[in-house]
Amino acid sequence: MDAKSGYIGKGPSNSPTFGKSLSLKVDGGFNAVSINPSGRDVVLASRNGLYIIDLDDPFSPPRWLQHITPWQVADVQWSPHPAKPYWVVSTSNQKALIWNLARTSSDAIDHVLHGHSRAITDINFNPENPDILATCSVDTYVHAWDMRSPHRPFYTTSAWRSGASQVKWNYKDSNILASAHSNDIYIWDLRMGSTPLHKLVGHDSSVNSIDFNRFKSSEIMSSSNDGTVKFWDISKGSDNCTSTVSTDFPIWRGRYLPFGNGFCIMPQEGGGNAVYLSTLKEQENLNESNKLTKLQPIYSFKGHSERVIDFLWRSRQPSDLMVNDCEFQLVTWSKDCDLRLWPITDNIYDSVDYDRTKRLDEKLPNYEYQTYNKEPPISTDQQRNRYKRIKETFVTKSGLKTSNVNHLTWLSGVRMNEPDSPEDFFKARKLQNLGEEVSAIGHKFPKVVFEKISVSTRELVITLNGPWSETNPDTYIFLRIIINFPMRYPLKGNPPNFIIEETKELTVKKRQDIRTRLKDIAKPYTDAGLYCLEPCLRYLLGEDVSIEDLEGEEEPLLNFEIADHIDFDNLSSLGSSEVDSELLDNSSSESELDAYKDTFDEYGDKTKNFGRNLALDTTPVPNECGSVWTASGQLLCFFPAQSKQEQKEQNILKLVEKDSQSNARRPKSYKCKVLDELSGSSNTVRPKRYVDTLALNENYVASSEDDSEYDSSSIGSYDSFADDWDDIMRNNIVGRNKIPALHGNFVRPFGSAPTASIKTGDSSRKGKNVIVTKDFSYLIPDKLELALGYQFIYANPEETAKHNSLVAEEYGYEDISHCWQILSDLLMNQSDDNPFNQIWESHPMGLQWFIKEAFRYFEKQNNLQMLAMLSCILSSLQVENEHEFEILDSGHYETVVNFRAADMSGLSGSDIHSYSSTGRTPTPMPLDSILPHSRFESSNDNSSMNTDYSRTSDQTTGNYSLSKGRSPKSFSRRATPQLTDEPANKLPTIKVELIQDELLETIKKHQIFQISNKDKRKASAYIHQYAKLLFQWGLSLERAKILKVGANFVSSFDGGIRHGKSNSDSSSTSGGVQIKWVANNSDAIFAAHTCTYCNLKVTRNVFVCGSCQHVLHTKCAKLWWKIGDECPTGCGCHCPDRFMCNMNK
Amino acid sequence: MVAIANAHNDLIHDAVLDYYGKRLATCSSDKTIKIFEVEGETHKEVATLEGHDGPVWRVDWAHPKFGTILASCSYDGKVLIWKEENGRWSQIACHAVHSASVNSVQWAPHEYGALLLAASSDGKVSVVEFKENGTLTPIIIDAHNIGVNSASWAPATLQENKPTKSPEESRRFVTGGADNLVKIWKYNNESQTYLLEDTLQGHSDWVRDVAWSPSVLLRSYIASVSQDKTCIIWTQENNDSSWKKTELQKERFPDVLWRASWSLSGNILALSGGDNKVTLWKENLEGNWEPAGEVEQ
Repeated sequence: MDAKSGYIGKGPSNSPTFGKSLSLKVDGGFNAVSINPSGRDVVLASRNGLYIIDLDDPFSPPRWLQHITPWQVADVQWSPHPAKPYWVVSTSNQKALIWNLARTSSDAIDHVLHGHSRAITDINFNPENPDILATCSVDTYVHAWDMRSPHRPFYTTSAWRSGASQVKWNYKDSNILASAHSNDIYIWDLRMGSTPLHKLVGHDSSVNSIDFNRFKSSEIMSSSNDGTVKFWDISKGSDNCTSTVSTDFPIWRGRYLPFGNGFCIMPQEGGGNAVYLSTLKEQENLNESNKLTKLQPIYSFKGHSERVIDFLWRSRQPSDLMVNDCEFQLVTWSKDCDLRLWPITDNIYDSVDYDRTKRLDEKLPNYEYQTYNKEPPISTDQQRNRYKRIKETFVTKSGLKTSNVNHLTWLSGVRMNEPDSPEDFFKARKLQNLGEEVSAIGHKFPKVVFEKISVSTRELVITLNGPWSETNPDTYIFLRIIINFPMRYPLKGNPPNFIIEETKELTVKKRQDIRTRLKDIAKPYTDAGLYCLEPCLRYLLGEDVSIEDLEGEEEPLLNFEIADHIDFDNLSSLGSSEVDSELLDNSSSESELDAYKDTFDEYGDKTKNFGRNLALDTTPVPNECGSVWTASGQLLCFFPAQSKQEQKEQNILKLVEKDSQSNARRPKSYKCKVLDELSGSSNTVRPKRYVDTLALNENYVASSEDDSEYDSSSIGSYDSFADDWDDIMRNNIVGRNKIPALHGNFVRPFGSAPTASIKTGDSSRKGKNVIVTKDFSYLIPDKLELALGYQFIYANPEETAKHNSLVAEEYGYEDISHCWQILSDLLMNQSDDNPFNQIWESHPMGLQWFIKEAFRYFEKQNNLQMLAMLSCILSSLQVENEHEFEILDSGHYETVVNFRAADMSGLSGSDIHSYSSTGRTPTPMPLDSILPHSRFESSNDNSSMNTDYSRTSDQTTGNYSLSKGRSPKSFSRRATPQLTDEPANKLPTIKVELIQDELLETIKKHQIFQISNKDKRKASAYIHQYAKLLFQWGLSLERAKILKVGANFVSSFDGGIRHGKSNSDSSSTSGGVQIKWVANNSDAIFAAHTCTYCNLKVTRNVFVCGSCQHVLHTKCAKLWWKIGDECPTGCGCHCPDRFMCNMNK
Repeated sequence: MVAIANAHNDLIHDAVLDYYGKRLATCSSDKTIKIFEVEGETHKEVATLEGHDGPVWRVDWAHPKFGTILASCSYDGKVLIWKEENGRWSQIACHAVHSASVNSVQWAPHEYGALLLAASSDGKVSVVEFKENGTLTPIIIDAHNIGVNSASWAPATLQENKPTKSPEESRRFVTGGADNLVKIWKYNNESQTYLLEDTLQGHSDWVRDVAWSPSVLLRSYIASVSQDKTCIIWTQENNDSSWKKTELQKERFPDVLWRASWSLSGNILALSGGDNKVTLWKENLEGNWEPAGEVEQ
């Protein structure tokens, strides 16, 4: 275990919880409980799996072994043997699961015992042999299992007529076991087959629990629904009970004490939900005639509010294992979801004659004091086996995640008391420990994030926002604070230590100040023995904390509920920023609250709030207007139709202005202030939350009735300042609704001052709205008309550039046209075999320079279209070069394949063969260094010189095979795009010629038209994005063309990056994006395919290679990829390398 | 110019054109969604979708490769998925994991599959994948304590090929919430969920809308608008450095801001707010934002 990860127990004698009361709230319907023999861990079982709780560190959340079943878990048992301290067995209807807690939670089931045909009711480990356990079931059978061969039970017996409720082994004689069937108890011997040794008859109702005596092997006790406990001695010849204890409740569980001479019982129903402890002394003294006694408990453990499900004994081993000095603690689990630990006092020990000084004949078993609460590290061995295991029927999921168990919630369920605490353990009480303090704080400050809570190591990491900026007091700074608490906190002289992490917003001085101040706050609190986290957090959040009045501060900590309700605004750090609206808020909040309470009560309208707490509904006010861009540069706007109310608002503003001019009484500046406030008020009055507007709207209607009387009364309350406004208001009655906002002492907010005109205005506003589109395409540099006119790749780039220049000019885009013109000229220069070109290349006005500058410019302009087009030119420059090589060197031009547009998506693999048949020797050469004809002697456009791209031969072998895998060599096509709704004259005949960069020959001493990989990637990203835009414009043909260029282009850098790896072929994926040839019927492809491996139709569980589009059953895929690494069709695609992630899913 | 007047009986909260710009979907406080077919200057109402029990806040069209599919979210806490087949609209799925109003829905970039992002006032965002076999697997994330007002996907980016990195790992989205924060989330393959990548602080009141620019040109842009009457542009170079904060303009807007929308290639930002005005903004060559237009009703 990692020392930092959590609490490590120092051994049983140092347990922080032993000998104390502890209460743990564990929600989740757990129905069975068991304890680790060392007493460290408790396991709880429910329909959702197991919780492992470390009793020594109850503040850390439980480990969750998930196992969802529809059946309630009847029993869970922790192995009592030191040899198998990690085994827990639980029932799952007719099966029993053996969990191994030393394994990871997702893979923790060692065995599944399946022998019963109906639900298992009880499990019992053999006390002597760690591998043997017994189960019994409703199906009347009792099975004994040996874990060394868990496939079937090695011993089976049955009472035939009634289901079994309990099975128990004898503590001394490991061949004897007892089972309870209906009213009777059977004693079996493994060596005697299925004939019972004894049949104990006597109960009048079904037996719920049986238990052998630990110390006297022949004695057994049974507890029954008839309200009696019977004690039997099977060594005596008669099968009659030796004594009976009667109670006034049906008994659910009754067991001998593990210490002394006594027993414990607990009721199934009634009985005060308590556990009763009684002594056996009296039973022993009974004479033959009087076998029946009343229950005389010497102690009862009362406190649960619902029935107790089970009780356990937690034992603490003595330091000397030869002395019988175990201490015990009672653990109860109840239906009220409370797990409790009860300390056992010495007088209990005494009253059951527990002799703690007795020397033992035999050493006590030594249990390793270890917790299984923490997830074990995954060993490699387990990982290897994981796949196989998951195939078993019981799929379990991984263990503790913070999302499963909220740590704060968990903490708030933990209550611990010192044994001598004066507090009533089960009543409302003061904070008892750090865990309770943290959980109280956590509920109180929802904006403080607890990154780490480790109560046992006394460390807390929190993050929050506080107003600690030096420069701007309004901004909040993010702080991360580590708090260490001394063990004796909060006793005097043990204040916590605060460490504030450095951030760049926080100056060093400020940080020091905060720390000092925190110390100042913490010290007096701890000196008074008080918990100080709350005042410290308040200070960190920016509140003023006075340390004078300590008593008063402590009180509110307990008021969870109140804090919960007001936490959003009042207690949190980031309250309303608008101070000027505070008055209004305060005065109006009450009426608002009432308003919507009334509203909803009155109308009983459940659909409006969907049963939510409206006070906490933070749905913002909906937008009334908005705008959304469309693909073609239109802006789609929607507005509410302008209401009369708003028009009148504007009127009043004008009026005020006029008034101020005519009325010289008031200074002008004052006027302006009024105006400011006026406009300000209309904003602050606007509610933030949706529920507030609901209330307002209802208010409109509700209060319109008492319109007139409202008028007179409210006007009367205005002060003299308001009187000045009277003339204005007489002119325009609507103005009144502004006044209250100005004063702030007015009870109702703006919306609640209704007039007839507002009412109509409101209703008309409600009904009217308008959606308009405005053309803003002039703002967008990407032009549809240009896209239609542009050519992507001509036979030579200069022609393309020239053409595009003309297109841009035609539509009047001068800058773009010029750019194309210059580019065309520069390219034209290139094509002359001019010896001076080389000189020009390095000149700032050269082509490289120009392209670089053009990219920079259009990037700033966000002109995607130009960027993509320029990328195309770059790409075609490369391609053209290669093209020329082919003509020059080899004359393999005939292998060029012509494609129709429809075929474009099928990257056919067939030409590979034709290609390899050309029989060229692979020449070492990296794909990223595309070799141009001598005309393109040039330097890198991006100033990184090509020396970086030293061509070493080890790179190239890989690259060669890589390029072999790729699709068609070259591609040429002549097509007239058929776009029906576009004017045909804009569509020139386009010849697309595309030749891929395969099988390049080294040409001696040529310099490189160099584009860095980074730029290539960028360029291909532009092309890809532009393709998307084209698709949205409905230009799918153009899109296909440009994608083709892009794909070509990407491949060249793709190869460059992955040089030396033979696994990748073309470029259909690049990082996060899989560039597919997305057809509109892609769904159909899924449905229609047959598996390429087994040739059967595939319906689900498909593996589709996004690169070659071939489909496999997942099963077949697994089979196939074990053998081969190419697509089973032989298309040459290395699907698995590319789609590893898909396989993993 | 298309103008549709009084399509709904109450306030309209969202209007979105589909991928090809042929269909318009609007949603309103009157709990309905309406579909219009738009052809040049004319429009025709073709369907009214009823199914929500509260005001409908947002709608979003899925990429056409999945069919004609619309997602809508409402105050009733539900996200409904609608599909048109042969001219008939039907509700094909209901995603109801949220316990409070769902304030925004958005489909992921189509490369990721049919992935829907929903943000709710219960403080959570959910990402639902609608799989081929009809199952959904929602991932639910606690995003903003008090409530999430908006969430927006990052565009699908071309990134360096790192063989160790799966394509899912580049999925990101941004959320804005009632805790005044903007948060960036990124998919983590190991934990099979989205993890917080960055927390952006800058607003002093509720963040009302966040919009991630669809442009993948030089840098990532996020626009966030807030109740505090400001708009902040967050930029990140190369998808991995820290986020830089730029205020759209120094002074505050006249009223709260409600909505931000980027043009298709991220050139122009449209903002709308409480003053019922739409303002357009454009980044100049110096990297400052300047007004580029205004729409009033």
